Order: sequence, then C-alpha cells, then structure tokens
Amino acid sequence: MIRLDRRAFAVGSLALGAAGLTTRAQAAGSLTAAIYPGTWEEAYRNVVAPALKKAAGVDVAFDSLFAVDQVAKVRAARGVPPFDCFVLDPGPAASALQAGLFDPIDAKKLTNAAKVPAGLITPHAVTCNAQVVGIAYNPKKFSAPPKGWADLFKSPYVERLGLTGFQTTFGTVSIIEMAKVFGGSESNMDPVFAELKKAVTKAAAVAAPAAMPGLFQQGQIDVMYTNTNTVAILKGRGVDIEFVRPETGAITFQTTLHIVKGAENVDAAYRYMDTAISADVQSALQKQPYNMIPINKDVTLVDTLDVKSVDELAGMVTHDWTKINPQRAAWIERFNKEITK
Amino acid sequence: MSVAVATTTGDARPALFRGRARAPSGGPRVDWRLAAPLGLAYLVFFAAPFAILFGISFYADAEQTRLGLDSWIKFYGDLFYLKVVFDTLKLGVFAVVATTILAYPLALVFRAAGPRARQALVLIILTPLLTSVVIRTFAWIVILAREGVVNQSLMALGLTSTPLNLLQTELGLVIALTQIEMPLMLLPLLTLMSRMDQNLVDGSRALGASQARTFFKVILPLTLPGWIAGATLVFASAATAFISQSVIGGARLVYLPALIWQQSTVVYNWPFAAVASLTLLFAVLAGIMVLGLLGRFARTD
Amino acid sequence: MQRATAGDLAYRLLVRGLAGLAILILLAPVVIVVATSFTTSQTLRFPPPDLSLRWYRELFDPVRSGPIHAAAWNSVWVAGTATLAATVLTVLAALAVARVKRPSARILEAGFLSPLVLPTLSYGLAALMFFSVLGIRPSLNILIAGHLVVIAPFVFRTTLASLAGLDQTLLEASANLGASRFYGFRRITLPLIAPGILAGAFLAFVSSMDNVPVSLFLSNARTGMLPIRMWGMMESTLDVRVAAIAGVLIASTLALLLVVDRLTGLTRRMSA
Repeated sequence: MIRLDRRAFAVGSLALGAAGLTTRAQAAGSLTAAIYPGTWEEAYRNVVAPALKKAAGVDVAFDSLFAVDQVAKVRAARGVPPFDCFVLDPGPAASALQAGLFDPIDAKKLTNAAKVPAGLITPHAVTCNAQVVGIAYNPKKFSAPPKGWADLFKSPYVERLGLTGFQTTFGTVSIIEMAKVFGGSESNMDPVFAELKKAVTKAAAVAAPAAMPGLFQQGQIDVMYTNTNTVAILKGRGVDIEFVRPETGAITFQTTLHIVKGAENVDAAYRYMDTAISADVQSALQKQPYNMIPINKDVTLVDTLDVKSVDELAGMVTHDWTKINPQRAAWIERFNKEITK
Repeated sequence: MSVAVATTTGDARPALFRGRARAPSGGPRVDWRLAAPLGLAYLVFFAAPFAILFGISFYADAEQTRLGLDSWIKFYGDLFYLKVVFDTLKLGVFAVVATTILAYPLALVFRAAGPRARQALVLIILTPLLTSVVIRTFAWIVILAREGVVNQSLMALGLTSTPLNLLQTELGLVIALTQIEMPLMLLPLLTLMSRMDQNLVDGSRALGASQARTFFKVILPLTLPGWIAGATLVFASAATAFISQSVIGGARLVYLPALIWQQSTVVYNWPFAAVASLTLLFAVLAGIMVLGLLGRFARTD
Repeated sequence: MQRATAGDLAYRLLVRGLAGLAILILLAPVVIVVATSFTTSQTLRFPPPDLSLRWYRELFDPVRSGPIHAAAWNSVWVAGTATLAATVLTVLAALAVARVKRPSARILEAGFLSPLVLPTLSYGLAALMFFSVLGIRPSLNILIAGHLVVIAPFVFRTTLASLAGLDQTLLEASANLGASRFYGFRRITLPLIAPGILAGAFLAFVSSMDNVPVSLFLSNARTGMLPIRMWGMMESTLDVRVAAIAGVLIASTLALLLVVDRLTGLTRRMSA
C-alpha cells in the first residue's frame, strides 16, 4: 500500500520515532487514537472522549488521518507507532492485516464484547460502526422508487443518475453488486463495465464520490448509490431523499478499530475500544448529526437510520476485501478509460 | 526552469569571489550575495523536489522495488493518456480564447472610462481574487446546474424548453475557468492599455480607419506583449486548475491534474503519478514557449 | 471626429456587450456566494428562501466550529510567515538583479518567476515525495516552505517593477554625498519601492490563503488548511458554513485590499 521509498525509511525512521514519542500522550491511562477527519473526528471528540474519561479515567488524544495515511504512518514508524489505535474501512484493514500491522485482540478484555453480534469482533478487529449501502433517490421526482441495481441503468432513473467509480468503499461494493446483477462477479467485471459504458452517455453526472451530495441537493442528479449515513445527513438538512434497499439486498461493511502493533498503551486502548462499542456511546452516535449505525445489540435504533435492528446487518451482502484490494487499481484505470468522453 | 536555477546558483561562488571591484566597468553585475538566500531556498524547496519527482518516475512498479522505464512506457504507450494530455492542453487554449474574447472589450471600456469608473472596474476585476477557489466552484454549480440560474433564466425567457446540460461539460468548465482566470489576463492588459499612446489610435481614426480596423491594426499589436503575459498565466493556471476541473468538469472529463491526484493518493502509484506530473510540467512549458514564440514573431512582424 | 458608420456602431455594441458579459461573469459567483451565506436554509442552496445571520453565528461558535477555526489560524499563520519570509528574501534577490543587463540576471529572473507558470499541482506532489523521502513528517513548517516558493514570484515581480521605475540619480546623489549602500537603501530605495513590495506581499498573502494544490499534498488532518477543509465540508456535507467562511474571507480580504490601496495606491496606479 505504501509507496514511500524504502531507503527513506532508514533515514526517516529515527526522526519519525522521536517525533512519535513526543506527540504520544505521556500520562498513565492515556492513549492516542487515529480518527477520520470530519464527522468521525467530531463524533469521537464529543461523545467517545468524555465517556472514556468518565468510565475509565483515560484521556484520549486524536490524530485525525484518513485510512491510507494511518497505514502509511505506522509503516513508516517501523515499530514505534505514532498512535495506539487504528480506525479503518475494510479495504485498508485487509491490507494492514496482511502487512502485519495489528496486535491480536483478546475479546475477554472487552466488557461489551457479548453485546456485539458474532463475527464483528475478530482476533484483530473490533467493529465500532456498520455502514449500509444501497440506492438513494428523490421521491418527488419519480412515481415509483428504483427497485434494484439494474433499475439504475434503465429509464427514467439512468437519465437522473449520478455515477461514481472505485475510489471509495461504498462505490466499489456498489459496482460489484451491479456486476452480479448483470451476470458478473468480483472476478468478472466485464458485464458491468459494458453497462456502465452505455449508461455514462445518459447519466446526469459522473463525478467524484464526495461531490454527489452537492449535486443531489442542487437537483443535478436524483438517483445515486450511497450509504445510509449520507442519506440521513441530507434528510436531516431537509433534502428530499429516500433510501432504497436493492432487491438483491443492501450491502454492509464495517468500520473497525485495531490495536497498532507495538502500541504502548495497550490497556488504555482496550478501555477506548470498549467505550466506543458501549450501549451509551453507540446510542449517542446514531443520532443527528452523526447518524452512525450501532453494532451494540442493547441499542434501540432510531428511525432515521433506515435500519431496524442490529441483527438485520447479518442478512446483508458482504465482500471479501482480500480479493478486491489487488484488483482495485486496475478497475480504477478501466473506469477512467471507459467513461471518459 | 528549476534546472536553470540550479546551474546559475552553482555559479554563485566564483562570482562572489570575483567581488564587485570590477563591476562598474561593464555595467552592474548580479550581486550574488543578495540573490543567494532566495536562490538557496528555491534550490532546496523547489529544484530538489522536482529532482526527486524525476527520480521516482524511474521506478518500474508502484511498490518502488525495481528501476525501469515501465511507468513512462505505460503512459506514453497508451493512447488514453496521450488524449488526457491533449485535452489538458486544449482546455488551456480554450481558457485563453475565452478570456481574450471577454478581456479585450472590458479593457477597451476601461481605456475609455473616466478615473472613477476605472477605479470601480479595477475593483470588479479583482473580485475573483477575493473569493476562495473552493467556494467559486459551488457558485458555478448553482449557476450551471439543471435547475440553476442559467437554465431558469433561459426557460423563463422561453429560449429553451428542456434544461441544458452545462455542468460536467467542457463548455461549463471553460465558462467557470473564464471567471477564475480573467484577472490574470486583464491585469497585464490594463497596464499596457493605459500606457498606450492615444495619438496612434486617434491617428488611425483620422485616416479613416473603422473602429474595428483600428483595433486590429493598432490596439491589438500594441497590447500584444500584455496579452502574451496574460495568456501565459491563464494557460498555465487553467491547465492545472484541479478543483474546478474535478468539481465542474466531473469525472468524465479526465485532465492531467485529476490523474495525478488519483494515481498519487487513491491508487498510490507514485512512479506513474510522477510521470503524469512531469508530463503536465513539460506540456505547460511547451505551451508557454509557443506563446513566447508568438510574441517574438509578432515583434519582428 | 468623423461620423460613426454602421460598422462602427456594431463594433461599439459588440465591445460593450462583451464587456458587460465579462463584468457579469466576474461578479455573479461572488454575489451568489454572499447571498447564500445569509440563508436560513439547512443546505447550500440558491436562491436562499429567507435571510438570516444563522450560519455566521454557527461559524463563530468556538465549540461547534473549532476545527474550522484551527484550520483558519493554520492558514493565516502559514500565509503570514511564508509572505514575510518570501518578502525579505525576494526584495534582496530583486535588488541583486534589478538594472543588471547580463544574461545571468535574466536567467535568475526567469528562475525566480517560474513557479508562477509551472503547474503547482506537480510541485505539490514533488514536495510531498521530497519530504517523505527525507523522512520529514508533514508540519506547518513544511507547508510554509512549500507556500514560500509558490508565492515568492508575486513579490518578486512587483518589487522588480518598482526598482525599474526608480530614479537612479537619487541613489547616485546619495552615494556621492558619502552615504553607505545600506543607508541609501534604507532611506531612499526602500521608501520608494515600499508600495510595490506591499502590493506584491498582499497578492502573495491572498494566494497563499487560497492555495489548494500545495496544501492538498502537504497538509494532513492535523495541519488542516482552510481551503482544504472548506472543500471537504462543501463536497461531503454541503455545510452552509462554507458560504459563511467565504463571506468572512471576502470581507476581510476587501478590508485588507482597501488598507493596502490606501498605503500604495494600488487601484489608483492601475487605473492611472
């Protein structure tokens, strides 16, 4: 994943290690956790940090970094990691696991482990949030909602569709599901590329994933594939938007917390992860403006989430990122080439 | 250019030792002691990074384990990427044409205006510089979108029944770039316009030339150096305007900056991103040289 | 003055029409942004249904907009420091090459101006690779170095222009009267070229505040810069605070412009 020059590591590791030591929290009962910038950072600063302080007396300092940057930083630090805890999406998590950047997780040290559905705590990962991906549309613009992935390629939806490629987790898994509908699979994306090629000339917009919400609320597009989180945020702001589960099932993937290999504050990291998956915190994080889908079975889900219960997640479509990761660069390149005017 | 900095700063030492004693005889010399601090800063923070970029482009694979020309061959052996280069240059040319068509009339109005109106015009011309590049793209989404200002006006006037697609088109992107780049064209142009000798214009008119003829035969040649300076900046800036290109142009219009961004931060193929980066650099430099040649050609004409 | 022919009338109409279109294109986005910033609506939407100061209050709230404030201070600090350093270095360099007719001076000049036309995005990537090969972590100091290089040409150009317009006899007279070079610079040259320097520094500061290509590669979440954060906010959540930030930026840049204008006569000189 990381493309830093190997020779540079030798030069840089000393400086990086030293810098890492100075930024890491020194007091007992404290840790440094990586966090995504934006909503995640706000949510964890405002909800998780105070709860952790109250419950365990542990102070947490946040280093806000995107997933790839977290992995790059830990690799560059060579065993003297700049933070104790990762937060990662499945793609980067799979490659970090392969690179051996995680310390094993002992579920017995987590008091809330039993309240999390089976499979969401693995020997290396603690799921802290689920994302559900499907179709979003503007109910005022269509007489009937689109039913499944194939509908996105048909009139009247395709003319109002906003397309994005493989840059994001939600984009990648959505297109894989479309491929399945058209007779393809993770290992055979030809059918969906053929359909995409036909669709791009009709689609309302082909843009960066992050630009989609903006295009949607300005009326440039009326259909897109996205996660429930985005739908809830837009709805909360008064945008006409509804979430639809495709006939073949909504997609789910997990955002996971991990202990960084060689982490200094392992005990504090357990307390941090335990707090993050506790019912109180998960309950607070599902509300506006965070809209994060809880994974704690004790939480009663609010009705803005488009998901009724935590158990529902088990029935959704999931993907194996160890198969996706090696192909993603080629898919991105192919998407570029086939959709360009 | 960075290479030029490197070689001249390399000469700094001997020049410094020669001192200033003999300087007055052959006109003033460059005082290297004064030029050295900035030269050094450029050497370290500007020339050296480009050297590294150049070096990284010779890694054959994304993991940077072997050396080879693979990244260069992949880029230049693929018609798709060559088309991306062509499109990027084309966008720069379109931006130059569009800003020229709008900037000259405005500059002519400026020339004819009184001092107060001129000051107001200068403020208007500077306004794009006051607005963040990020928020300007939002404004253009609002203007160009299907339910946007332009389409609503056109439909209200009955000029079109279905909304025009302006966002995510080259036309829409050129319109947005025109606003963003226009000050770069206007500022050098205004300087030359205000310096221009009014007698030449009056003379042409007195000899019976039409206003249009006067513009093309007198005003245009006299302001050409300003136009070239402006066109150079507009061309370079439009070709590398990453945010406008990606937000207004959308993903179907692939230009070099978006490719560089994607390869370096999404795909993490640094060697390939380096090749694309250097290609953008050379393409822009080539465009600037052509503009410079135009200027030279015009002067000897 | 002869009588206008039909061709002349058409020409005049065309010129005025295009000039009007140019003014419209220059102003429309600014008007839309400012109008949107006063909206009561939850999202960035134009036209605003009603007007209020709601989003400005939200923006100035130290708790809810903390990260934005931090990014804003980062940007101001980087722009201020980079401008100051660039100004000092550049004025020295401009003094070194001004009035020198040799090729070496032309080459230096071209080199110092080159960041103006070289793609800054290429430079941003090059700088990222350079600093990571050296193993230097992203920090505000790195951003300052990166910004310094791309904004220095603004000061260099205006300072050089001021030096070119300087009356050399003044300096010679001062030298004949036995004044040292430094004294001559401080008492004669500097006051005369100060407006040019200030105008250049203003442009440099503004372009650093608005720089995306370099910050995109060199800043990370911790060293977040204002334009990058605005981009994220605008794209992902349509946060109306983005329009409010733009409103504040427009107002403060305008104020700065008026101050600079008072001190240097920037617009007066440009409209002279």
